[in-house]
Amino acid sequence: MDPSSGIQEPFDLIRLSLSERVFVKLRGDRELTGILHAYDGHMNLILSDVEETIMIVEQVEGAPEGQSTVNIAKRKMNMLFVRGDGVILVSPPSRT
Amino acid sequence: MASQILPLELIDRCIGSRIWVIMKTEREFTGTLTGFDDFVNMVLEDVTEFEITPEGTKKTKLAQTLLNGNNICMLIPGSNGPDDA
Amino acid sequence: MADATPPPPPPVEVSPPPPPPTNAGSPTDFLKGVVGKRVVVRLTSGVDYRGVLSCLDGYMNIALEQTEEYVNGTVTNRYGDAFIRGNNVLYISAAEPL
Repeated sequence: MDPSSGIQEPFDLIRLSLSERVFVKLRGDRELTGILHAYDGHMNLILSDVEETIMIVEQVEGAPEGQSTVNIAKRKMNMLFVRGDGVILVSPPSRT
Repeated sequence: MASQILPLELIDRCIGSRIWVIMKTEREFTGTLTGFDDFVNMVLEDVTEFEITPEGTKKTKLAQTLLNGNNICMLIPGSNGPDDA
Repeated sequence: MADATPPPPPPVEVSPPPPPPTNAGSPTDFLKGVVGKRVVVRLTSGVDYRGVLSCLDGYMNIALEQTEEYVNGTVTNRYGDAFIRGNNVLYISAAEPL
């Protein structure tokens, strides 16, 4: 038993993050931060006050291997549903 | 009825032996099988991971490892992997 | 005839002890042994997460502490806590002796 957090299963981490700002990493090089309002067993999420960051990696034609430019696009949404199957990682705010 | 052996019985007989695991993607593992479950999640010891890319094969040594059965394609009992084939 | 020294007594017949509880190898046994230890979690995408395994469930959903994210061998992020959705997990490997 972890005295600092009382986490017994992974979903406890998410439960303890309700109403907090969380970081979410999604498939397709997308990242979100937002306030977590709801989640379910699929990791479907409801987030508000969301900022999305999309990394767009462009391999320059004819450039040597590994030479690529990364464009970062950001946008904001008020309220967002995230389908669980796209979720890779959720990190709650640091509780230290 | 001819003596019927289930696929997973064969794998059960490999416990304690070397096994070569080929994933659905360009990735392979060898190790000593210590156990597995109905999803064919596998626990291996003294593992080598092989990542096969056009530039060559990258090898990574791992200690005791639980391999997710989801991405496994084939198992070759008794083999020490691509270097051994 | 009788030797000066009697023959050594035969070895005492006792039922052999049960085999020691080896780190019995099933996935469940592995997971019991590895909780609280440092692990490497590799995703199918090739990204690695190194940290202390807090807990996990039957879907291989994972909670990690003191997590470092590695892409191509370099640290790209750090998280105090991280929830990793199990479908992305390729393997969980012990990063310290069990």
